[in-house]
Amino acid sequence: MAEPQETTRPGQALVVQLWRENPVFRQVLGICSSLAVTNLVFNTALMCAGLIWTTTMSSLTVSLIRDWIPRRVRVMVQVLIIAVYVIVVDIVFRALFLETHKEIAAYVGLIITNCIVLGRLEAFAGRNPPLPSAADGLGAGLGYSLILLFVAVVREILGFGTVFKNTAWETVVLRGWEPGVYETWWRNWTIMAIPPGAFFVLAVAVWAARAVALRQEAGQAGEGAK
Amino acid sequence: MTPALAQAGPSTMPGAGLMLVLLSAALTDNILLTRFLGMCPFLSVSRQIKSAFGMGLAVLFVTTGTCVLNYWLYVYLLRPLAAYGVPAESLKLILFIIVIAAFVQLMEMLIERISITLYYSLGIFLPLITVNCAILGASLFMVNNVTSKGFGLWRVLTYGFGSGLGWFVAIMLMAGIRRRLKNARIPPALEGAGITLIITGIMAMAFVIFQGMIKI
Amino acid sequence: MSVLLPILLSSAAACGLTVILAAALLVVEKLLVNRGTCVVDVNDGERKLEVTGGRSVLTTLTDEGIFIPSACGGRGTCSYCKLEMTAGAGPLSPTEMPLLTAEEIERGLRISCQVKVRNDLAVTIPAELLSVREYRGVVERIRDLTGDIKELRIRLVEPEAIDFTAGQYIQLRAPAYGDNPDPVYRAYSISSPPSARDGIELIVRLVPGGICTTWIFTMLTEGDEVVFNGPYGEFRLSEAGGPMIWIAGGSGMAPFWSMVRHMKQTGHARPCTYFFGAVRERDLFFTDELKALARELPWFSYVPALSGPAESNGWTGETGLITEVVDRHVREAGDLEAYLCGSPGMIAAAAAVLHAKGIGEQRMYYDKFE
Repeated sequence: MAEPQETTRPGQALVVQLWRENPVFRQVLGICSSLAVTNLVFNTALMCAGLIWTTTMSSLTVSLIRDWIPRRVRVMVQVLIIAVYVIVVDIVFRALFLETHKEIAAYVGLIITNCIVLGRLEAFAGRNPPLPSAADGLGAGLGYSLILLFVAVVREILGFGTVFKNTAWETVVLRGWEPGVYETWWRNWTIMAIPPGAFFVLAVAVWAARAVALRQEAGQAGEGAK
Repeated sequence: MTPALAQAGPSTMPGAGLMLVLLSAALTDNILLTRFLGMCPFLSVSRQIKSAFGMGLAVLFVTTGTCVLNYWLYVYLLRPLAAYGVPAESLKLILFIIVIAAFVQLMEMLIERISITLYYSLGIFLPLITVNCAILGASLFMVNNVTSKGFGLWRVLTYGFGSGLGWFVAIMLMAGIRRRLKNARIPPALEGAGITLIITGIMAMAFVIFQGMIKI
Repeated sequence: MSVLLPILLSSAAACGLTVILAAALLVVEKLLVNRGTCVVDVNDGERKLEVTGGRSVLTTLTDEGIFIPSACGGRGTCSYCKLEMTAGAGPLSPTEMPLLTAEEIERGLRISCQVKVRNDLAVTIPAELLSVREYRGVVERIRDLTGDIKELRIRLVEPEAIDFTAGQYIQLRAPAYGDNPDPVYRAYSISSPPSARDGIELIVRLVPGGICTTWIFTMLTEGDEVVFNGPYGEFRLSEAGGPMIWIAGGSGMAPFWSMVRHMKQTGHARPCTYFFGAVRERDLFFTDELKALARELPWFSYVPALSGPAESNGWTGETGLITEVVDRHVREAGDLEAYLCGSPGMIAAAAAVLHAKGIGEQRMYYDKFE
């Protein structure tokens, strides 16, 4: 995971994380814990909020105490710091969004072992000043949320025909067939409502992103040769 | 997607109950193909059958052990503490991860002592497992089962073993498939993560069939 | 008050659990990992070492005063520490396999920094490694030779004298600092002649990002204590009496600087042409001293060559890549011997030129930098 270290200005660090080095695109890390919630957009949005909070705050914290962490327990200390912030998220969600929380509780907890969060701490926050580290964490979280929300929107629209189902903002996008009420062309795709759908949508997203990136690289290589 | 286990509580036939727990943990609620946990090492280690085997075994050991240990921790420490206002459900996250880290270290030392060959084939994966989502996930789902379905010690043990077994089966299957992939022509942008995700999706679809198996 | 209690209990639970588990792990470690004493048999009974098990063969031997060379500090990447283990080494570890050929595995060669002492072992250690010792010294002088090359002069403290052959190297220990948690050893050729037994000189070039050279260039000062072990290496003048050429660049000067002064002191007159390649004139050093030696010693010639763009300082010497210069000067092979010291790339290029002239492998000697 060799990241270019020349971006230490906060704004740049954010942008770099968001597109160029977007971890889910380029390394497909950390998809684990969050794919399961992507069948509904609202659940995914909550999950992403929790993740952004956790990456930003733990990057900031680890960067602040980076000179005092003994080498041998480095990973454990980072995991514990992440755990603290995840517990905060857990408590907040339990208080504000109890119904949804019941569905995503286990996955929120699994942010602790999310490869992306740990990866950013190891690669960046561990050796850079607080403000760029926080920006890097924020960027990583945002980039990650981007892809997750994409998967969620595709899955919910194709799988249930709605967005923000079960919430106050529920909108029906594709009205499906209901006996005696509507005769339409649309049938909900069950495949999108069950786990395999997440894998396929993510695969397509990764495919598209990689294809674009490869073309960019080929273009740059061509220019560099001149 | 929850298996029809609500009826197979502690009051019904214990043997059949355990078998159902095992099958559902390994197949219908496969921790990787249904719950999406443990993907990172899954994607990187499944390149070779030998390392997939080692990693799978390691996950199996650790899932079983930590599920049991965390069960005891939950029942004998966290639940009593909840009476004093401690947010047990949130605190368990930190406590579980501490137990997992310690258990993995212990396993590493034990295995190195017992058999060097075993250590070289699976012990070197153990440090990677501490932060494997599947391990923590298995413990968290175990707690769900304890609170909502009244799982006791034996069911927890079976559940842990079944989860690990399911992950092991998934990674071995993937390693076998990837071996055949070596001779296939894959579009460049799909290489690596893309094609592996598609294969995982197809495997997940196949495992959906098992839903029909578990019925009371 | 009612908010405090849960917080206290939570923290107590977390800390308590951590302490209990950490203590349990330490106890288990004491019981399990301590393997008691094992016997390491060296060279078929020549020496029997009683050691505490659990650490790598390399570390164990180093603690017993037997210094096996290592460039990577036990990380399992350089394979300098290869040793033949005739018994007790256990199965081959996955970290050793990429570094050993099938033939070496058959012979019983193992990477000693990756093999842990778990039971009685038998190893074969070559004689010259057994005579290697650890030396403590004080930095007497550091001076800049060029922009990125320094000369270190180290005066020995304990033991007070060192015996070596011109062309050998030592392993200098860079202590743990900054991001590096453990000390590392790096090899440098001794540039002083063997007659000066109370100290050694080293010529060191700064490697960008190099752990040891960064320490030398930014932290080491005169008066500091240093530790090194040696002498190692088989790069030395042969017994033959025929003419020879030396080819080096940058810090590759070191063994030759030792050799030429040794030859002058012992009156060992062998026709010798020394080709030293650099990019610009400011990359050359010891030019005056070498030219003086060339004037003084009839059998020695010094040929510096610059490969960089022509400068206006009136450089009258040779120009071009060192390999081209050698190509021009060497007429016929005869019984010419060639000694090469430098980067693997330079050595490969020079060797190709010399082979083309008809100088066979058996008359070429290499001191390769990794």
